[in-house]
Amino acid sequence: MEYVLHVLAMFCLYSILATSFNLLVGFGGLFALSQAALYALGAYATAIGAGTLGLPFPIPLIMSVVVAAVMSALIAIPALRVSGHYLVVVSLALQIIVLQVALNWKGLTGGTDGISGIPQYTFFGIRIDTPGSFLVVAAIAAVACFWVCRRLTRSPFGRALRAMRENEAAAQAVGKNILYMKVTVFAVSAGLAAVAGSLFARYFTYVGADSFTIDETIYILAMVILGGAGNLWGSILGAAILVILPEALKFAPLPVDIADKLRLIAYGLVLMVILRFRPEGLLPEPRGKKAMFVPVDAEGGKGDAEALFEGGAGEPGSVTLEGRALKKTFGGITAISDFSIELKKGRITGLLGPNGAGKTTAFNLLTGFLRPTAGEIRLHGKAIGAKKPHELVGAGVARSFQDLRLFTKMTVIENVVVALPRQSGDSLASVFLRPLKVREEERANAARAMEILRFVELDKKAHETAEDLSYAEEKLLVVARLLATGAEVLLFDEPMSGLDQTTLQEIFPVIRKLAANGKTVCIIEHNLDVIKELCDTVYFLDEGRAMATGTPEALMNDPELAARYFK
Amino acid sequence: MDLLLQLFVNGVINGAHYALLGVGFGLIFATTRIVHFAYGPVFTFAAYVAWGVSGGLGLPIWLGLIAAIACAVGLGLLSYLALYRPLEVNRAPPLAPLIASLGLYIVLENLVGILFGTGVRVVDLDYGIYFLGPVFFTSIHLWQVGSFVILAGGLALFLRRTRYGKAILAMTDDPDMARIIGIDTFKITLLVFAIGSMLSAVPATLILLKDGASTHMGFAAVFMGFVAVIVGGVGSLRGAAAGGMLLGLVESLGLWQIPTEWQQSIAFVVLYAMILIRPEGLFSMARR
Repeated sequence: MEYVLHVLAMFCLYSILATSFNLLVGFGGLFALSQAALYALGAYATAIGAGTLGLPFPIPLIMSVVVAAVMSALIAIPALRVSGHYLVVVSLALQIIVLQVALNWKGLTGGTDGISGIPQYTFFGIRIDTPGSFLVVAAIAAVACFWVCRRLTRSPFGRALRAMRENEAAAQAVGKNILYMKVTVFAVSAGLAAVAGSLFARYFTYVGADSFTIDETIYILAMVILGGAGNLWGSILGAAILVILPEALKFAPLPVDIADKLRLIAYGLVLMVILRFRPEGLLPEPRGKKAMFVPVDAEGGKGDAEALFEGGAGEPGSVTLEGRALKKTFGGITAISDFSIELKKGRITGLLGPNGAGKTTAFNLLTGFLRPTAGEIRLHGKAIGAKKPHELVGAGVARSFQDLRLFTKMTVIENVVVALPRQSGDSLASVFLRPLKVREEERANAARAMEILRFVELDKKAHETAEDLSYAEEKLLVVARLLATGAEVLLFDEPMSGLDQTTLQEIFPVIRKLAANGKTVCIIEHNLDVIKELCDTVYFLDEGRAMATGTPEALMNDPELAARYFK
Repeated sequence: MDLLLQLFVNGVINGAHYALLGVGFGLIFATTRIVHFAYGPVFTFAAYVAWGVSGGLGLPIWLGLIAAIACAVGLGLLSYLALYRPLEVNRAPPLAPLIASLGLYIVLENLVGILFGTGVRVVDLDYGIYFLGPVFFTSIHLWQVGSFVILAGGLALFLRRTRYGKAILAMTDDPDMARIIGIDTFKITLLVFAIGSMLSAVPATLILLKDGASTHMGFAAVFMGFVAVIVGGVGSLRGAAAGGMLLGLVESLGLWQIPTEWQQSIAFVVLYAMILIRPEGLFSMARR
């Protein structure tokens, strides 16, 4: 009986480790290999706090959480600036250094001897010294941690996190602060792993470095992948299976060390087999309405999305966004050599030019995705050179991408909701401290998103997964998502390419109406008919500079430009 | 001063070891974009096979080396064919091969333990000890540096001069383009796994002779190879070699001031600094 209770207590610890790791890997798409190190930090911090220093509960637990969260965030920062492989190697390095410190800083960690004699919990005069009583404590902690994870994933923050996983640049382009989200999710995941570590120290009254090797991370990873990345219940299931099943090996007549190795081999095989034959895991990430946490009934409500379609104050024809003498070089290659542009309120400006002329680079400069090598960008006359893309979205400049970059695994309405401006639920502090306000906003946002979808006639498809849409519908969703940002300057990168005549006729009035409402619109377009139909002014780009500016008619009648365009 | 000179020589010796691992791991990574974690236990397997042949059966060490190479190449090819290839065919997301390789890592590592037992395995060998002024080194050390020079040089010639070598470089540059211009990327990938794995067997055998083989030695091997690649610049083999050499030197010269037990942490500091200051690495071929 004691034995069964012990196994259940271990299941509680691992369900905390697996759900917290899932936050990072499954929801954030951030693949770090340091979960065992953070688990270790939690265990050692409690061992030192409660054992060496003799501090009362809950101070050691708080120490554990803070130490792990801070370490995790610190380690994450350099790796976040660059791509995923760097994160893998930096997190591996953290794993190594934590074990090095545990083994070598003898005064603090006891070196290879570890720290023993850590006091067990005592609550209300009851000493938690049996597997049974510890199971109660562990179960309470596991439920609390699961609640935190669930609250986080089913909040605007969690939605933005999934959007970031689907496409980082697109998440920035709808105004999400990527750095904040990454550092936060790293810290939360680490803090929860440290809770498990703290429990470990109290339960075994001993902490040693050999409990926290890289094998342990792979063990936890196997639980997440087996259960299903992006599904919290899956992690619980994965933990249950991988904690309980290997216990069967204990009854096989094998030498202990062989049995232990077979257990690890089994975890490895689970990982490989699952990825090969059922990569989504036993419980796949929910899709469609099941994935929604915004109340579906709120979608019918009267929203105030009209406000998002308005262009804000100012005279039509006044300059909103302008680039002056912009230059951009990559290494030795000049993409933009000397480009000036003025985008005007209530007007549709076209960027035209052959492939490689620098049109998309110009967009990247105007929206903060690239820094100009020289030149200046002004919004309403104020320089905005150093602003990040998500800050520019907040200031009123948003863009779409030529290759769409929808959040493909999310539903259509989620794609729109995530882009809505000023969501207090984007901040994790508000999610936990002001839940009522966040919920109220969510209801309003569901209604607004539905209104935007009605505007582009995608409301019937609201609960379909974005990757199941037709190409034309995907293009409409791109427009809807861009509108949802409420930005006054909208930059469309080839919104019409690949659409047939009928669909084009449907999109034209949408864009014209935006301009009529006072939005500043800029589009990159190859189709001359579209340019002629829509644009007030056209910039003809070639070789990184504006070759000509004028009305569509004037430009198209210029034989030299025609020769360049059709060369 | 004598100490510093000795540390420098030790650094070159260890650097050559890391550089070879970096080049082997980096060749597979640069060409296929697979983070082949199982490179570590393949390295361990090779060392144990060399021990089995030369230590267990008492055959000459060059036979042990050949057996180690055969084993490593076999396991490398098997990793690709049985694990990574099906994932590619399934169009699995980019993280899938990485996670799967961790599974393979843990399977192979524990298989070594079951097949060969735990505990350190050594081969008794008479090797030369040399003094050059105040500096001490052995013939195994010489071989570590020599094998790096020969293999890295040979690989460089192979990549530049032969048709297959050029195909590998083309695929490193742009796999899709390579396919379009008619390169058989499947065949090239197999070739790259074979060469990369072969490159791990040589340092594995030499480490067996130098320090002995142990079950968990593969982790350090793949980690240092990976760090060498990142420090050197992803996609550049020259960078991986330079990165490995730099790691060896910094690690060894650091001992001048830092106690031995913290030696491994030095690599981490180099890595962290590199990612902060120059994330594209020493030699970057990334053009964006």
